[in-house]
Amino acid sequence: MQPVLSFEQAPPISVPYRFFLTAPLFGAAAGLVLVLLGPETLQSRWSPGALAMTHLIVVDFMLQAMCGSLLQFVAVVAGANIWRPRLVAAVVHPLITAGAIFLASAFLLEQQVLFLVAAAVFVTALGLFLTVMAIALLRTPARGMSIHVLRVAVLGLLVTVALGATLALTLGLEEHLQTDWSLLALINVHVAWGLGGWALMLVIGVSFLVVPMFQLTPSYPLWLTRLVPAGLFLLLCLWSLQLVAPGAGAQVWQSGVALVGVLLAGFYAAATLMLQSRRRRRQADPTLLFWRGAMLSLLVFALSWIVFETLPQLGGNLRAPLWLGVLALPGLFLSVITGMLYKIMPFLNWLHLQQQGGTSMTSPNMKQMIPEAAMRGQMRLHFAALALLLAAVLWPALALPAGLAFTASCLWLEWNLIGAARVYARFRDRIRASLAGGAEAPDRA
Amino acid sequence: MPEPRVIDGRGMEPPEPLARALAELATLAPGEELVMLLDCEPLPLYAILDRNGFRYRSERRADGANEVHIQKA
Repeated sequence: MQPVLSFEQAPPISVPYRFFLTAPLFGAAAGLVLVLLGPETLQSRWSPGALAMTHLIVVDFMLQAMCGSLLQFVAVVAGANIWRPRLVAAVVHPLITAGAIFLASAFLLEQQVLFLVAAAVFVTALGLFLTVMAIALLRTPARGMSIHVLRVAVLGLLVTVALGATLALTLGLEEHLQTDWSLLALINVHVAWGLGGWALMLVIGVSFLVVPMFQLTPSYPLWLTRLVPAGLFLLLCLWSLQLVAPGAGAQVWQSGVALVGVLLAGFYAAATLMLQSRRRRRQADPTLLFWRGAMLSLLVFALSWIVFETLPQLGGNLRAPLWLGVLALPGLFLSVITGMLYKIMPFLNWLHLQQQGGTSMTSPNMKQMIPEAAMRGQMRLHFAALALLLAAVLWPALALPAGLAFTASCLWLEWNLIGAARVYARFRDRIRASLAGGAEAPDRA
Repeated sequence: MPEPRVIDGRGMEPPEPLARALAELATLAPGEELVMLLDCEPLPLYAILDRNGFRYRSERRADGANEVHIQKA
């Protein structure tokens, strides 16, 4: 039998999996909000339904999946030590879940006190998460642009949470609190840091590593790996100046900053698509197709932004921000996350089964962890739901089929991920039984 | 000196290079060398080598590949 090698302190598999298995359920909840509240949800970005859906997707689907991935990624790929990962996950995961429920309820029920509860829960959960992650990322022995970009992304999450908590306080204590900041400027800066400084920055940092590694493409050019994240960070800082310099003059200047930021993001998407077109392996697996769909969504987002800027009669429509939101959230971020989950969970299954003493005889192949047909079927439904959601922005009467398709796609994803977790449990038990029957026990079972 | 064993992991999809390395390490005799050619810096592998009594050195070649030489310590 192959001797058992002991592995570095990778977090227990339950640490990322508890986040991964919760995330799609809240995507399904967001879809149900659209089904239940119907076309009026899509009247404007400020409708209670649209705000609740947005936060169910960004906080519970995206943040949940991104926190779980980061805990694992930083330990395994960057070789950093995470402080007591099981404890951190046991505190952060239920708190984020609860916080998202409070926040979505606050928007739907328009209950001020719920904003305050949500803010307190998020500040506690993400305060712990950010502290642990910042220490790990500052101490990691790993070098390279990806690590620098991940550090900036963690800073982006800190800014987003701080501004989000300020917004929740403003909404929760409306009668008691006077602030010098305009509510709209606060929201603009919160959204930009959340989607640009945290989520997109994380996608960019991870892509510099995983696109060449898993999709067998050439590496991103060195100048691009510096220009895109540094440019994005600089533009976010300039965008934030609207908090301290409001007024009509600033508005023109700010729209210029936003346009350059959107062009930079579109340039990154085009560069990624070009790299993917030069990959060495011809067959396209679901992860590659999800990434491609995500980058196309980002390109269409950038083009739409330019059209909205040049044609104010279109850009001024209340539903224009919803169009952009659908392209950004289900289109860009959920596509990347789903594609990555389909790669990460089989890989973690394999890694942890090896760690338990699995061999090629007792561990399944990476490709057997989630059936290819199930991933492809869910992917088709995801992109169909995306098309329906975009169509529903134009014709709100389509809200019901769009909401149902999106809910079904999230539930199918959940089913596929549960399947992967069950494969892990089945083979872990088999390995334990075979080791218990043999002469040697592994040193870390 | 026996001929080193070589794994050319360039163009392989992860975790295949790591899986092959683990299989070779299991039978690596003292004094024998395993050479890996990779597109990336294999940090998970380094961690496993450190904990299991292997020494290694890696160098970036002119063609951009990472060449990792592994022996039993």
